[in-house]
Amino acid sequence: MSESVIQVQNLVSGYDDQIVLNDISFEVIPGEILVILGTSGCGKTTLLKHLIGLIQPFSGQIKLLGQDLINSNEKELLNLMRQVGVLFQNGALLNSITVAENIAIPLEQHTNLNDRLIEDLVHLKLSLVGLSHAANSLPSELSGGMRKRAALARAIALDPKILFADEPGAGLDPVTASSLDRLLLNLRELLGMTLVVVTHELGSIKRIADRILFLHQGKAVFYGKLSDALKSDIEPVQRFFNA
Amino acid sequence: MEQIQITLPEQISHSLIKDLQKEIAPYKSKKFEGQSVWLDFSNTKQLDSAVAVFLHRLKEDFKKQNIELCWINTSEEVEKSLKLFSPLARAKLEAKRKNFFETIGELGYNLFNQFVESIFLFSNIGFWAIVSFFKPGMRRKGEIANQGVLIGVNALPIVVLIAFLIGFILALQSAAQLRQFGANIYVADLIAIAMVSEMGPLITAILVAGRSGSAITAEIATMKVSEEIDALTVMGVDPIPYLIVPKLYALVITLPLLTVFANIIGILGGAIIGVTYLDISIYPFFKEVFSVLRYKEIITGLVKSLSFSIIILLTATYFGFKVKGGAEGVGRVTTASVVASIFFVIVADSILGLIFYFGEPAF
Repeated sequence: MSESVIQVQNLVSGYDDQIVLNDISFEVIPGEILVILGTSGCGKTTLLKHLIGLIQPFSGQIKLLGQDLINSNEKELLNLMRQVGVLFQNGALLNSITVAENIAIPLEQHTNLNDRLIEDLVHLKLSLVGLSHAANSLPSELSGGMRKRAALARAIALDPKILFADEPGAGLDPVTASSLDRLLLNLRELLGMTLVVVTHELGSIKRIADRILFLHQGKAVFYGKLSDALKSDIEPVQRFFNA
Repeated sequence: MEQIQITLPEQISHSLIKDLQKEIAPYKSKKFEGQSVWLDFSNTKQLDSAVAVFLHRLKEDFKKQNIELCWINTSEEVEKSLKLFSPLARAKLEAKRKNFFETIGELGYNLFNQFVESIFLFSNIGFWAIVSFFKPGMRRKGEIANQGVLIGVNALPIVVLIAFLIGFILALQSAAQLRQFGANIYVADLIAIAMVSEMGPLITAILVAGRSGSAITAEIATMKVSEEIDALTVMGVDPIPYLIVPKLYALVITLPLLTVFANIIGILGGAIIGVTYLDISIYPFFKEVFSVLRYKEIITGLVKSLSFSIIILLTATYFGFKVKGGAEGVGRVTTASVVASIFFVIVADSILGLIFYFGEPAF
């Protein structure tokens, strides 16, 4: 338990009076890839938003890298978030600045590195995601897949210990989606990151998942290894994998 | 050859780079030329990418000084990080710098292209404006009235308010001067001519350019970035007669009407000062207004406002179609459109003012 990088216990959450997540508990060990999956509207993105501290739950506990996320003050939360990278569903790059400038934001804001080192690091991260040629382009000039990769370069700018990715393959063709998955696996290997990926794309799940958290109607109906999930006799899980 | 050995700490992250630099920097001097500096990684278990890049750069800098910087006792993890985060492997990405002549040339080329593009667009709009006058089926049913309400009727309150204040202030400022010469009644002349031939059309056009011109640009630009214009084109619907021409008709009809309203309200604003501050009765004030206004002033104002309506529409449309990128592109062209519209309206006002001033009064 102590070596887990993410611990979630009895998480209950929702909007107004409506409960979206009910009694969710799981943990993620270092270097593991946890895939949160389930059908549309089951609370996957809401859970991810809790894990990155964007929304507060009704009750329960979330620990990231051993730190209590819910009871942290703003400064503690900011320090914690420096060790976390987030790949948003639509990339969420700032459209008015170039790709290189987007990647430089966390480096400029959270380190005291000089401009030359920042420039080197930006180009290094871009080459890791295969986007060296797009450094001076505006995000609007890139394709969907390229935007995702640029956003990934920004998310890994500070060598995060945990990377959260919200539907990384959404809106991409199968070839680009699969190359993005390979990229995530490579980055996990090279940077030793722990990954939490929200997706409902079967191909992607089979390629990257070590462990699965299956949500159904706001409840965690399955939590375990991918191989066990494939053999599971829990009805929504079975239906999902046999679809 | 002498060797200097520095042992690095267990974990080195970007926050320790400055300390590391301080420790190593003294060896980067001529005193140590031809010698070796060994960085001992025996305690180090982890390096982040920033430190790896820093060490690679440091190695290059030492090499320039003829000092060898080598790392020893590197673990597999450290070796992997140093190999992966090597800035030497990156592609050269420096943007090509343009010289002065290239910059001027590119600017001229872009301006010429924009000029040609705008001529094509304006001719296209002109052509379809004439054609669709005879073929109303090309336009969306009721769209001219709809646009007339959006562009004209909804702008009425703000136009009336501003025109009233302009007439009021103009009369107030001139009354103080005219009073000294006992020429109080000429406030009526001044307000009537200034409002009808100059301030009315100009203020109305500036307000409409800011309010409706920006809305037209934003609408077209948003449609373009969300591929709605492309959708119309592939459905065989030309966006110019379908989207733009109704707006043109609506502007051409409503802007002169708004100007007439502005003129009347502006003169009323002046009349309030005439009656309350200069003790002119309401009847002599308006008698003076009607006696000083000739057809020339009225036609000048109407021709101006008609020209302004076309300028606003063409500028708004041009910038709307010129959009590039996403939401930020829409914002950019909308701002540019308003600035350009107001600029062109004022330039056109000056040119028309000169033409009507020096031209023979035909009326």
